[in-house]
Amino acid sequence: MTPLLAFITKEWLEAARTGKIIILTLLFVMFGIMNPAIAKLMPWMMEILSNTMAENGLMVTDIQVDAMTSWTQFFKNIPMALIAFVLIFSDIFTKEYKSGTLLLVLTKGLSRYKVVLAKTMLLLSLWTVGYGLCFAITYGYNAYFWDNDIANNLFVSAALWWLFGVWVICLMILLSSLLQNNTGVILCVGGTMLAAYALSIIPKAKAYSPTVLMNANSLLTGAEGIDAYAHAIAIAALLCIACVAASIPIVNKRQL
Amino acid sequence: MDVLSIHNLRKSFGGKEMLCGIDMSVPEHSIFGFIGKNGAGKTTTMKAILGLLKVDCGAIHVMGEKVRFGQTATNRYIGYLPDVPEFYSYMTPYEYLTFCGNICGMDEADIKTRSKELLDLVGLRQERHRIKGFSRGMKQRLGIAQALLNRPKLLICDEPTSALDPVGRKEILDILLAAREQTTVLFSTHILSDVERICTEAAFLHDGRIAMQGTIAQLRSRRTSDGFIVETERKEDADTLMPAFGDLRRTGQNALMCHGGEDCFFAVMCYIAEHRIPVQRIERMEPTLESLFLEVTT
Repeated sequence: MTPLLAFITKEWLEAARTGKIIILTLLFVMFGIMNPAIAKLMPWMMEILSNTMAENGLMVTDIQVDAMTSWTQFFKNIPMALIAFVLIFSDIFTKEYKSGTLLLVLTKGLSRYKVVLAKTMLLLSLWTVGYGLCFAITYGYNAYFWDNDIANNLFVSAALWWLFGVWVICLMILLSSLLQNNTGVILCVGGTMLAAYALSIIPKAKAYSPTVLMNANSLLTGAEGIDAYAHAIAIAALLCIACVAASIPIVNKRQL
Repeated sequence: MDVLSIHNLRKSFGGKEMLCGIDMSVPEHSIFGFIGKNGAGKTTTMKAILGLLKVDCGAIHVMGEKVRFGQTATNRYIGYLPDVPEFYSYMTPYEYLTFCGNICGMDEADIKTRSKELLDLVGLRQERHRIKGFSRGMKQRLGIAQALLNRPKLLICDEPTSALDPVGRKEILDILLAAREQTTVLFSTHILSDVERICTEAAFLHDGRIAMQGTIAQLRSRRTSDGFIVETERKEDADTLMPAFGDLRRTGQNALMCHGGEDCFFAVMCYIAEHRIPVQRIERMEPTLESLFLEVTT
């Protein structure tokens, strides 16, 4: 087994034995089921609320529920899954710095860049599998209850949000290589998101902010074409590579 | 051949110079005691040897290869045991050694046999539980096993016995003694009895410099004698001797101690013979590392 593969295996074992894999699986399955469930229950909920709404002068008539309602829910819920993902793995580096577990591994001759690569690969794999699981469950239920064909560019929309998640994870890797504790990592990831969101408010800069990728609903409804996301995709992909590449020399120079 | 050589090593922390030009060499197959007070810079030196710390000046060579900060290629020759070794607590000892073997690039069969062999050596072969519940002594023993796994040319142990009970200390020292056949051991400590028990060479670190270095015999020979003790049969005889020699100091009712040299020793002997003073015991005090350490550090 190569040192890189050995470290990836160790990362997997850690995630599995500390219960992180189970939590993530439950989370993504729950969100996957919740999207069509909320859509399915919508008419029933509206009916219950109709009397209260009537008192306020709102009339509930015929509620139309289809696959689009479920997909809209999917893109509303997935940010919560990503936040949970960041919270769960925010200590992936800092825990090793604090406890000193990395010290013994590095003194065995393991190159530091392999530590960065192994952790990045594990996080991206878990995000991809978890996100894919959530998508597949929603897709399955939607196909069973309604028709997925109603949604435009469904797979591209899903891929955009996946890429946004990849960017957040790569950012988390960079911040983890810089900072000493996971609270700092969480706060800085949140701060960067806020800055990127603030950037997207400026009309001229909007197309270049990775947060545009979160707005996959517009692509789904056909309100916007794939072209509208081209700049954000390129910027996000470049930032992902830059974040991981910058993490390597930072970890190399870190005193343990 | 020297496994490790250090030349003019300097390191400062926030304006305070911790290491002020260390020069030291560790010959092959020795057990080298690196002695110094708490905070003398032993751990700093060891971290510099492992390439974990950026030094201000100087050069470190392990097996003739220069150590570079961050890029720890020379660590393939080194096995390291920190003062408080931390492991991945969700692994069993065998799993941890297998993981370390894979990191070192050892082949699967070798990892298997070597892990079993070392777990036998440190008495953890039967341990099937995860490291989470291990005592400090058990962690130290596992630390030695992981450090010896890839048959290192140099085993570096940072105060391996300082936090252990007497039984745990003896176990660790016995393991280090046994490891000498396979490797060179460099261990830092401030417990001098440990050094006297197993070390072949030692160096005293004081004020950021190597104050003294050599084999244990050479170090002892720096001070030929620490003086002698005379114990007379009666208190009155001791009272007679006391005013005759200014160097004598009373340590008991009829026991006197002298820190003087050979001349003083023979003068006292002549006086005892001339005055026919009955003596119970005359004993030369051998120089100990402790007295040397105190002499160096005070």
